[in-house]
This record gives sequence, C-alpha cells and structure tokens, in this order.
Amino acid sequence: MDEIAVRFSHVSMAFPGVLANDDVTLDIKKGEVFALVGENGAGKSTLMNVLYGINTPTDGKVYISGREVTDFNPKTAISMGVGMVHQHFMLVPSFTVAQNIVLSREPRRGRVFFDNAAAERMTRQLVEEYGLEVDPSVPVEELSVGLQQRVEILKTLFRGAETLILDEPTAVLTPQETDELFAVIRRVVRERNMTVIIITHKLYEVLAISDRVGVMRKGQLVGVRNTADVDEQTLASMMVGRPVLYDQLEKTGTPGEEMIRVEDLTVRDNRGLVAVDGLNLGVRAGEVLGIAAIEGNGQSELIEAITGMRRPESGRITICGRDATGLSPGDIRALGLAHVPEDRLATGVSRDATVTENLLTGKQRQKQFNRFGFHQRTSTIERYARELYEKFDIRGAGTDVTAGDLSGGNMQKVVIAREFSFDCPVLIIAQPTRGVDVGAIEFIHSQIIDRRNHGCAILLCSADLDEVFRLSDRIITLYEGRITGEFSGGFSKDEIGLCMTGSRREKEAVS
Amino acid sequence: MRKRINWGYLGSLAISVLLAFAIGAVILLAAGFNPLEAYAAMINGAFSNARHIGDFLEYAMVLCLTGLACVLGSRVGIFNVGGEGQLLLGAVVGCQVGVWLAGQSSWIVIPAAALAAMAVGGLYALIPGWLKVKVKVNEVITTIMLNTIAASLCQYLAKGPWKNPNKNMVAATAQLDPRYWFKTLIPGSGLSTAIIAAVVITLLTWYVMQKTSTGYEMKLTGQNPRFAFFSGIKTDKIVIVCMVLSGAMCGLVGMFRVYGVEHLYRSSISNQYYFEGLTVAMIAQYNPVTVIFLSFFFAVLKIGAQGMELSAGVPNQIYLIIQTVIIFFMAAESGIFSSIRAGAQRKKARADIRRKESESHV
Repeated sequence: MDEIAVRFSHVSMAFPGVLANDDVTLDIKKGEVFALVGENGAGKSTLMNVLYGINTPTDGKVYISGREVTDFNPKTAISMGVGMVHQHFMLVPSFTVAQNIVLSREPRRGRVFFDNAAAERMTRQLVEEYGLEVDPSVPVEELSVGLQQRVEILKTLFRGAETLILDEPTAVLTPQETDELFAVIRRVVRERNMTVIIITHKLYEVLAISDRVGVMRKGQLVGVRNTADVDEQTLASMMVGRPVLYDQLEKTGTPGEEMIRVEDLTVRDNRGLVAVDGLNLGVRAGEVLGIAAIEGNGQSELIEAITGMRRPESGRITICGRDATGLSPGDIRALGLAHVPEDRLATGVSRDATVTENLLTGKQRQKQFNRFGFHQRTSTIERYARELYEKFDIRGAGTDVTAGDLSGGNMQKVVIAREFSFDCPVLIIAQPTRGVDVGAIEFIHSQIIDRRNHGCAILLCSADLDEVFRLSDRIITLYEGRITGEFSGGFSKDEIGLCMTGSRREKEAVS
Repeated sequence: MRKRINWGYLGSLAISVLLAFAIGAVILLAAGFNPLEAYAAMINGAFSNARHIGDFLEYAMVLCLTGLACVLGSRVGIFNVGGEGQLLLGAVVGCQVGVWLAGQSSWIVIPAAALAAMAVGGLYALIPGWLKVKVKVNEVITTIMLNTIAASLCQYLAKGPWKNPNKNMVAATAQLDPRYWFKTLIPGSGLSTAIIAAVVITLLTWYVMQKTSTGYEMKLTGQNPRFAFFSGIKTDKIVIVCMVLSGAMCGLVGMFRVYGVEHLYRSSISNQYYFEGLTVAMIAQYNPVTVIFLSFFFAVLKIGAQGMELSAGVPNQIYLIIQTVIIFFMAAESGIFSSIRAGAQRKKARADIRRKESESHV
C-alpha cells in the first residue's frame, strides 16, 4: 500500500455566506504529483490554505504523514513538513536570495549578528543538492519571476518541506519558465520522494506534469482520476459539471444597432504586462455577448477599460456611438452605461453605507432626489430605496442597515438593483452570481434577460460557464488577452473549453 | 438614511471617560491629592466665574472648528495633520493684512483678513492634497513636515520683515489697531464675537456633511474611494477641495485667535490647538455632531484643569492624562469588539454547517 502524505477527512470550510469547501475527503500519496483543478471559486486555494494552516476548517480533520493537525497555523504546517508557494510571492525584494531563504531561521554569529557568509554557504549547498541553479548573493528584486519562484521553492525546501503546494505556479511564467519549473518538480519528486500538489486551471499542464488529478466544483471534490486515464475534454466537463436544469429563459426580439464597439484595444494590467492584446468586439442592442475565459486572461482588464476604471494603452472604445476611450467612469456612465463590477466588496458597494445610500449612489444628483440641486430629499430617497428593495427581492433587516450586514447574495442584489434601475442602453456585467445562492441566481438571470429583451446591449463575463451558456446570444473565448474563438447558436461546451485553455489556438497555428 | 444613534459608541465613550477619571483618581491619590476635591475644583474652575466660562467657550470654539477641519479631510479619506501650520500661517497673514490696511474701515479690513487667512491656509493644504491625489504621496508625512516649515516661516516673519516696531517685542508682529479687534463678549475672557462666525461655520459644515448630495458624495469617497469613483463621483476633485477647505478653516481659526484674543501674531497664538482638535475628532470617530459635543467636554476639562491648578494646587497635566486614557480605551474598543464579533461569526458558520448536515440526513 502507498504511503499517505496528506489526508483530508470530511473537511468543510465556511466563510460568511459561502461554503468554500463542502465535505472534502481526499488522500494524497507520498511521492506523487497531484493536480487540483477547478473553476474560480471552486475551493482549491481554500483547501490548500487549510493544509498550510492559514484557514482553520469549520469541520473535518486533516492528517499530515498520519498525524492529525490540531493547531492550524502555517508554523505548525511548516514543522510538519508542508511548504507552500503562493501565487503572489512572499519575498523581500531588497534582500538577497540567501537572505530570503534563511529568513526566520537565520544563522547567527555570537547569537546576535546575522551571518551572511553562512547564509550564502547554506544556500549554495541547497542549490547544489537540488540542482536548482540560482546565485545566492543577488538581491531578489533583480531576478526574473521564474527565478523568484525558484527562490520560493528553495525557501520551503530549506525549511524541510516534504510536501510542496504550488498555487497556480505557471500563471506568471513564460512557457520556457514553465518547462523549467516542471523539470524542477520532476526532479524533486524523483530524487527526493517529495509530494507536490499543484493548483492550476490550465488543463494541458495537468496532463503534462501530474500523476493524479482531483477536480473541484462549487466547494466539492467531484472526482479524482489517474492522469493517464483522462483527457482535456473529460476534465473540462468535470470542472464545469453536467448542464444544470434551469427553466428555459424566453429570449425575444432581434438585435438592433451596435451599442458597444471596441477596436484594437490594448490594456496593461497592474504589473504592466499586456493583458488585452489588440482586441476587437461589438455588442448590439438586444443582445448578450458572453465572455468565456479562465481568470487572468484579460477579461477583467477589458471590462475595466470599457467602463473607465482603467486607462487603455491604445485602441478605441465607442459607447452608444460616442467615443468613450479614456474617459472617467462618471463620463462613461453619462453616455448610457451601467456596470455590475466583478468584485462587489471592493467596487460594487460601500459596506459602511446603508442599503438606502448604496441604492441611491449614482442618482444623488438627479432632480427628484434633491431640492435646489443640493438639499437631499430624504423621504423621497427612502421611498425609492424601499421600492427597489421590494422589487429586487433583497432580503435583510431593511434599508437602514449597512450594506456590510447583508449576505453576499443580497449585497449582489443591491448592486444589480442599483445598476439595472439606471435604465441604460448598455450594461456591462461581470460575475453576476458569484457566491450567490441558487434562488437568487435564477432571479438575477431573469432580470438580465429582461433587460436584454428590452433592447439593452449586454456584455457578460462570468467564471461560471453554465451561466455564460445560458444567458448569451453569442460567446467569445479569451486566452491571454486575445479572442480565440467566437460562437453563436448551439454552443459546444467542449470546443469552447478548449478555446479557453488556448489549445485550440495552437492547433490553428499549426494547420 | 435615517440617523440612528450609535448606542454602542456612546456606551464605549461613557465607559472610557469613567475609566479615565478612575485612573486619574488613582494617580491623584498616589500623588497625595484628594481626587474628589480635585475633580470638584476642576468643575469649579470651568464654571465658577464669568471669565472662566468665557475662556472655556472660546476654547470650545477652537476645538470645534479645528476638529471639524480634521473631519472635513477624514470624511473623504485624507488625514490632515497639517492644521497647526495652516492655522499659524492664517494667523500671521491675517494679522499682517490688518496692519497693512490700517486706517481702512473695519468692514473692509476684517473680511479681507479673513479671506487672506483662509486663502493662505487653503493653499498650504493644497500642497499635500495635490501630492496625495496626483502622485500618491502619503499626506500624513507631508502635512507633518509642512507644519514645521510653517512654524519656522511664521517665526521668521514675526522676527524679521513683519516685526513689531517695539524693540522689547522680540518675536511678534505689529499690533492691530483696536478698532479692528473683535468685541469681547465677556470682559477679561477670550470670548469674542468670533464665536458667532464660528457657530455659523459649524452649522454650515454640519449641514453640508449631513444633509446635502455633496456631503453624501464626500462620505462615499471616504468610505470606499474605488466604489465612489466607479459610481461616477469625481473623487480626486472632492479630496482636493475638502483638503483645501480644511486648511482654510484652520487659517480662519488662526485669524480668529489674532483678532479675538491676542491682537498681534506671536507663536503662543496656538499651543498645538489643531492637535487638540484632531484628538477630539479622533475620539468622535470623525462624526461632526459628536465633535461639537465633545469640544465642550474637553474645553471644560482643559479650562477646569487650569482652575484646579490655581485653587487646589493640582498640576493641570492631569487633563492630559485623562484625555490620553480616553483615547487609549476608545482605540482599544474597536479591537476588542471586532475580535468578539469575529468569534461570533465563526460560531455561526459552524452552526450553519451542522444544521445543513443534520437536514440532509433527514
């Protein structure tokens, strides 16, 4: 029988309003590469954060090398031989490689002074032992991202890790760096009998590197397979799930004029990398254009550029026939655009303001809500908020409580109620039902289709593929900031899934 | 929309004040004073005679205006720590305008001095405001450093170009013509007609913040700037304008101190008054109404403590101890409460899962 490195037994993890892990039971064998895949919000990172002791599970038990974890914190996890490399590196940029690696276990001279020479010696030894080439005396900020990741891996090895968790390690790497990383993974597994758990949503990487693969969906582990027995299509359908049976939505009317026009748009992300790469698209009145893409492929930056939250690098955006390139969100809204943002907590609401104030936002300058252009008509505002509250079926302790007191789903209804009631010809909707319960999803979907049937041009982006399929008239797939496919009519989930992972484009390039 | 009284806040404030007085009492006992007598002397010191009442009202006015100036910035998410410098500059420029315009009608001189004081305070606040919005420079650092520059600049002006012609006055500007002085309302005290202007400004500030669309936009900008920007509010403009108004208000307080009390500029025009107002604003958690009430409370404490020193011989530093302990407990309060709340949330989440499981077994 194989030795078990990590065992999750009925692990559940609840955050306010969301069940991020739902009764997960999983064994990971010693000396294997285990891939954990799933859509965004499926609970992969949450599960790994439980293992690394960042999250204390609400229920269930975790065993590392057969010993039960009783105290969930990273220190304990490290002492039990678990190391984790986060998506965002936790390195001190101005420190050298050696200094970063020995951090928290620094060699000392005379108990007080940091012994840099010893640190570099130890690092060199580690580098030679594992064959991970990197110069110990160089400051980390001068290294490429791939090498920084290598330093992170060395750091965990230095701390005696036997099980290594890599959270989306390839998201920031070039293809060449990815190949190097995989070589490193193979080496530590083969030569050191280490266990590697890799979180990813790039399916071809799963096939390339892992021995077994676990698929998560909506907090549950829906299956574990030997990698040799699966292909990308099987994994994609496991990730997305069987088509959920919803009531059929009635779509009426024919598309009208083009309301959103994006030409040769290039946008950079926060790191300054090109996120949207010369993109073109158009959305017509009475049409829903769905964007299907795995997170980090430019859809967020595209939406931010269209709505004015981010300045585009180049290109042209037209809303309702007027140039909207580089305008502020306020000016773009004035052209007739409303926007449901992907991150409702950071962008969609003010948690400290009341529900009423959140519902009013954006309309505070309208004549009906103030006298003489400045004095707020409190009773009118309150009545208006109560109407929206009823109409959009928001459930909470009334309109006077702060928005932060609402559950995630009801907070989302506040955002939807506010943005949809602008009655705008253009709607940009991102992640309309993330973290929202099933009943509310149904309601939000019918509201979106209702706007569509009233002639609204809608650009929809969601990590939930079922949602995109259900609501869209047309679908485009984005991969690394470019459109890799366009579909209308009967959508083929498998084909769209392949376009999303970029494998279709490679094939096209070959043919 | 409807204003709800925040009982949790009032409760914590009351407990903090009581604890502060209790700790103050322990210290008084240790120092050999009778705390009851000392506190009685403190109350007495603020209210025993008209002069003290006048002084306490004047000080309450200063606390209230500087506190509101701080709130004006904090509301929109910019922390003006530079009010002291803006106040001093307002005082010295406001005073000098009165000196330059000597001979003119007071109907010209006083508005001109007030406008000049506000302009110089506002412009001085524009520097950190603009740097924060355009270049993302931390305003706390810039405002603190600008305080030192302003204080030195005012000192230079008072010792150099605008020096008092009297050789015995070393670091003071020329005195204003008495016809420009604000009328003293209670003889012998610092209370002048400036308080009427202060009441108007206070009411106006409260009105704009609490009742208008602009105040609403300010609040959203401070609570969640990304959300405010997303919803179409010109957040950069609001932040800069509020910072300038905050500086203008501080400048005006400086001018009030000159025309109402000192009648010339010298550095003792303000004894870190802005920081006292800032403290009040912090304890009030940047709520304008609470600032107004707390200004009176702390003015009683401060003026009372001075009276107590004279009548009972207790050092007035006891005022600082009490004030500091209140801040300490008010700051600790949010930490204590949030950890209690987080614990309750965890408990609830666990219970939810258990319930779900037991339901699914049925």
